[in-house]
Amino acid sequence: MKSKLLLAPLAALSLVPAAAQAVTYLSTAQAQALMCPGLALRQDFRTLTSEQVAAIQRDSGVNVLTKDLKVWRASNGGWFIVDEVVGKHEFITFALALDASGAVRDVEILDYRESYGDQVRNPAWRAQFTGKRHGAPLKLTGDIKNISGATLSSKHITDGVRRLLATYAIVLAPSAA
Amino acid sequence: MRSASWTKVAALAVMASLGAGAAWADEPLFGYVYTTDVLPKGKAEIEQWMTLREGRSQGDFHVLQARTEVSYGLTDSLQLSGYLNLAYADVFHNAPGGESSPPEIFADYSVDADKRMKRGRLEGLSGELIWRLASPYTSPVGVALYVEPTIGPRTRELESRFIVQKNFHDDRVVISGNVTLGYEWRKLQADPEADVGSAESRVHWDKETDVNFSIAGSYRFAPNWSVGVEALNEREWGGLDPFKSDHRTNVAYYVGPNIHYGGQKYFATATFLAQLGAGKDYANPHPGFIVDGINNADDFEKYRLRVKVGSVF
Repeated sequence: MKSKLLLAPLAALSLVPAAAQAVTYLSTAQAQALMCPGLALRQDFRTLTSEQVAAIQRDSGVNVLTKDLKVWRASNGGWFIVDEVVGKHEFITFALALDASGAVRDVEILDYRESYGDQVRNPAWRAQFTGKRHGAPLKLTGDIKNISGATLSSKHITDGVRRLLATYAIVLAPSAA
Repeated sequence: MRSASWTKVAALAVMASLGAGAAWADEPLFGYVYTTDVLPKGKAEIEQWMTLREGRSQGDFHVLQARTEVSYGLTDSLQLSGYLNLAYADVFHNAPGGESSPPEIFADYSVDADKRMKRGRLEGLSGELIWRLASPYTSPVGVALYVEPTIGPRTRELESRFIVQKNFHDDRVVISGNVTLGYEWRKLQADPEADVGSAESRVHWDKETDVNFSIAGSYRFAPNWSVGVEALNEREWGGLDPFKSDHRTNVAYYVGPNIHYGGQKYFATATFLAQLGAGKDYANPHPGFIVDGINNADDFEKYRLRVKVGSVF
């Protein structure tokens, strides 16, 4: 009897099917065409040094998830970056486009794999980032409005943009000078 | 439901979860400890719990509880849930004195001290309201209040809970603590061995207060997967006043690991708890229901395994 009863809770686990497929809203190429129209983009991938990681984390107050920086240089002097932030269950892939002066042109969500909270794709919410530069507060419930019901995603994307603006100021801008 | 087999109880639980289709309830990171997370407004969830309560210091003791939960986000900080609670017990010579004794959720049944009790039942229907006062994603600490009334055959319960949560490391590390206050009323049979004229000598409503302290921590070590630890301290009082120390009855401690999977549509959580050898029985002369520190009173057992599966829609 003991073994049979033990099966009941374990059988409940069998009701959970395999993980759902990721939702890809934009490929990298589609995001580049959308966010940097008419511009030529040159791949300029970097590997951050430990010192750069420490400096970015100190400047932004946000953890650097990977040393691999997927960045492209635009023909007008701007930048296009693809990065990830922590979602409720998986990583959220997003892209950031900067103009030649380091101001945000656009933010787009590429992959979103969560059960809810995809309101972060809302253009009006993403438009709050346009024009932001390194040094801006970029704080949820501060200069960036929260999306109720999508708080975790809103917070982490806001933090992600702040971290990439720090990355621009510490790594990309000096290299372009 | 009398003498229902474990398969019937399990089948009922599975049918209930399948019958609701692709519904949802709030995704639990832990088996026993609540977090301050609630469903967004307009989202719903269905969840199936299966809890196995195993072993006493003597005899046979097997209890299986099934809870089917449906939840709905009334607002982004207010969640309403309803539960169907079923139970099955198989016990024999499980009391320290060697007699068969029903677990607390079957306390309203008479049991022959020398016979095995195998019985299933409807435990009751519960409602639950969770109100999140502060989100751990936008405030230094998340705070929520919870209330859960239950009504069942010869049973009434009212449980309230204070929940605090602190997140770390990009919200991948979650620490949550709960303080629970629960009142229980059970209509018990007359005890032929009770003093003549006492409440126990006739059919009566037995009252109990539970105060539980619990804490849990979880780390999301890979996308979709978290592992953690949960610890419970359960304290019981006879009557409805937990401030009367002479009404204390039982204390037990549990601790154990948990694992959680959370995906886009489905989630599952499993927690295993073992009772620590630090139990107390204040209601009976030493050693009472304590054997090697394990509390063997009505509502306690050596091991607990709880599995929750669910889906959001």
